Amino acid sequence: MNREMIRLTVNGDPYELLASPRQTLLDVIRGPLGLTGTKEGCTTGSCGVCTVHNASGEAVLSCLTPALEWDGEAVTTIEGLETSGRLDEIQQAFIDHHAVQCGFCTPGVIMSARAVLNEHPSPQMDQINDGMSGVICRCTGHIKVREAIRAVGSKLDRRV
Amino acid sequence: MSTEARPGVIGRRQPRLDGFEKVSGRAQFTDDVVLPGMLYGKILRSPHARARIRRIDTSRAERLPGVKAIVTGEEIPGLMFSKHQPVLARGVVNYVGEEVAALAALDPVTAEDALRLIDVEYEPLPAVTTLREALRTGAPQIHEHAPGNIGPVKLQDFGDPDAAFAASDLVLSDQFRTPMQHNTLAEFHVALADFSDPQRLLMWTPTQSAPMYQKGLAQGFGLSDSQVRILYHHVGGAFTGRGRPKPHHFIAALLSRKAGRPAKIRATNDEEFIVFRGSGDTHYSFRTGVTRDGRILALEADVTFDCGAWDEWAMILWLPALYLNWVYRTEAIRYRGRFVYTNSVPKGSHHGGIFGRMSAGWMQHINRVAEELGMDPVEFHLRNAVEQGDTTMDASTFHSCGLKDCIRDAAERAGWKDKYGRLPPGRGIGIGIGAQASGSKGASNDTSAAMVKVAEDGIVTVYTGIPDMGQGSHTAMAMIAAEVLGIEPADIRIVAGDSEVTPFDWGAFSQRGTFTTGNAVKAAAEDARQQLAAVAAEALGVEPDALEFCGRKVWPAGAPERALAFTDVIGHTFNGLEGRFIMGRGFFNSPRKFGALAFSFGAQVAEVEVDRETGEIRVLKITAAHDIGRAINPLAVEGQLDGQVFSGLSQVLFEECRVEGGQVLNPSRLEYKLPRTWELPEVDYRLIETIDPYGPFGAKEVGEGPIIVTMSAVANAVADALGGMVPEIPMTPWRVLRVLRARERHGAGPIHPPGLPEGDQAA
Repeated sequence: MNREMIRLTVNGDPYELLASPRQTLLDVIRGPLGLTGTKEGCTTGSCGVCTVHNASGEAVLSCLTPALEWDGEAVTTIEGLETSGRLDEIQQAFIDHHAVQCGFCTPGVIMSARAVLNEHPSPQMDQINDGMSGVICRCTGHIKVREAIRAVGSKLDRRV
Repeated sequence: MSTEARPGVIGRRQPRLDGFEKVSGRAQFTDDVVLPGMLYGKILRSPHARARIRRIDTSRAERLPGVKAIVTGEEIPGLMFSKHQPVLARGVVNYVGEEVAALAALDPVTAEDALRLIDVEYEPLPAVTTLREALRTGAPQIHEHAPGNIGPVKLQDFGDPDAAFAASDLVLSDQFRTPMQHNTLAEFHVALADFSDPQRLLMWTPTQSAPMYQKGLAQGFGLSDSQVRILYHHVGGAFTGRGRPKPHHFIAALLSRKAGRPAKIRATNDEEFIVFRGSGDTHYSFRTGVTRDGRILALEADVTFDCGAWDEWAMILWLPALYLNWVYRTEAIRYRGRFVYTNSVPKGSHHGGIFGRMSAGWMQHINRVAEELGMDPVEFHLRNAVEQGDTTMDASTFHSCGLKDCIRDAAERAGWKDKYGRLPPGRGIGIGIGAQASGSKGASNDTSAAMVKVAEDGIVTVYTGIPDMGQGSHTAMAMIAAEVLGIEPADIRIVAGDSEVTPFDWGAFSQRGTFTTGNAVKAAAEDARQQLAAVAAEALGVEPDALEFCGRKVWPAGAPERALAFTDVIGHTFNGLEGRFIMGRGFFNSPRKFGALAFSFGAQVAEVEVDRETGEIRVLKITAAHDIGRAINPLAVEGQLDGQVFSGLSQVLFEECRVEGGQVLNPSRLEYKLPRTWELPEVDYRLIETIDPYGPFGAKEVGEGPIIVTMSAVANAVADALGGMVPEIPMTPWRVLRVLRARERHGAGPIHPPGLPEGDQAA
């Protein structure tokens, strides 16, 4: 198999590694990089469990992204949301609002929620619904997930 | 010494204790575990619904570098997955996806490539892949022991149904059907086995019940239970899908034993949908006899289950007979259930179990009975609902029961009186009611045990075998222990997930966690508290019974100024002459011989809007009232309610495995539909907190009661909007349109699903 050397910046850290055409960004993140916070779900782009961010803070399905295509790019995973040991406010909101149950989809759901907030700092309900439509959480039914996102959004409202 | 609830931990809105791990990506699930030397296993599956295996040639796969072990059914003649079914097919396959061969390689890509190098020669045989085909006269017979493809049958009468129906002024019957459904777990099925010492099997896997897995694997491999160690980390949802080991657990173990290294098998997306057992196609016939003034005299249900190629979950067969006892007072009950074999994957159950699916039809039928009598369904439910103190014909006693309060509360808050029968065309309102048992003896002895360790710094460790699949049991257990010991949930560490470390617990199924394990943890904490009280009492010069434990302090009742710090009491015991280390132990087993000791109840009102042009349904609002006993953690209870409303409406409106010739046609989360964020209704809930005398601090189950009620409420609301019963779920647009067309042609009478052939051996 033709492996190629690629360079990735993940959560601010530089990596150089060999990747094959059959490897996805998800395979690389969970495998050689050992960042198992990002979960492997359906691998067909229909559950959103594997969501990470590109350099612009937009949601990317890492299971559908060939690793070789991302040579030279920057990626943020769930492990990269914390800043110096402090949870991002959306992570804390998920705990406070019980937007977490089994926790398997949680990293992907949080990365999607963060992407919604990156685009719309005080999102309306339809913006939340649109932005979260790619993830499935059977446990919470998304009800408290929406609450958590709105809570973070309205906090920003007050700051303005 | 009273440990009943007082202002303290119980009833507090407690964020889950594993929240930090889970939101930060630190929480470890089975697939995150990589052992040194670990191999990756893959399973070769049958592409045929029924075929003879003429030949399996693994030689090409064996020669591929990196392949370390290959197994086929012929090598392991004695290894059975269930009574009749081998772990790997031998001679014949009976469903698409049946396990035929398996291999393990150094990496997943090599394993996938090697799988394609195994040659299997099949001779296809005539198959029956649906209930209809299986019951046809002269249908091919799948198993020698099952003429007419009829599997186990259960007949159960309570009272004298013939007499009760004869005495009824009105007898109505209706048919209903629920489809094959899939659990759609977030975390796919995965097993990591280390069986490199053939006397010692280590199995990492998400589970609802370590003992079921331990005993199943031990029995299969001829080991004693303690030679199998079940390890699980966080569990990514279960929804009845992780109750017992499945073929991939045995196969991972086989590959590991053969290669002498750990081996992991993780289901692919296709495998997840094709071979992991949710519920099967099920047909119901309901009959009810009532008096003119609306009193139920007789209830009857006749249920035919497609159990797939083997009857793995015979328990499902008798559950409806029990359920008919728990909702209404009646004089007689008749139940007939039968399994029918088909060439399809063996079935288990789905979220809400058989009660939810059955209720989606049964409650529509009951609604029709009420309307036929000219009664408001709410009045009919109130007329017949069970009450506290009732003992049913299956010998269940409702020591606490808030069903009637739930019905009244949900109806009132939803504005039932103003809406029922008065909504504009295209809108509908429906009420569903239901019950669920908290744990149950019968399939198991329903035992839970727990241990508590008290460290010198005041940190208390609870050892429990209850898995937390998201329902929040670990946080609830911490709250129970903290309440008893008068400390904070943050002071509690939960140790779970290792059958060798934790005391026996059947696990998280049959809604037994809060009730049964909760009682065991409470008893263990009380044991530790008693030991601490003896020392504190001596130090304070009072009787141990006269002590209060609260806020990390211990004091003589009525004299809080004399309080000792909790850690000081531990210090006295540990550093005293005796040097005693405090460990508590507890155990719970219901005094009943069979069935459950406590039941939860609920009522929900659903409001829907149906687009009569497109057939699309939108659930607008759910108003729920539930008696779940005392809510240990109301925040987590709300989470349970949310999830069950979501999953319940999902099953009524969307979820269905479409199958043709034994092939699943929609094996992905795009095609097997679950609600997306914009499809969620407004949910308004209230808890009617009865205090159950047997529940820990009065608590009962909340893990399945709500979904049963959601399914019936939504079904009834759609029926209301369409002018009568909808005979099948999911109520997809094309089914809705079909019902609308039928109503245009035939008016308001009942519409039934296509019936089943009686077959050669109609039992």
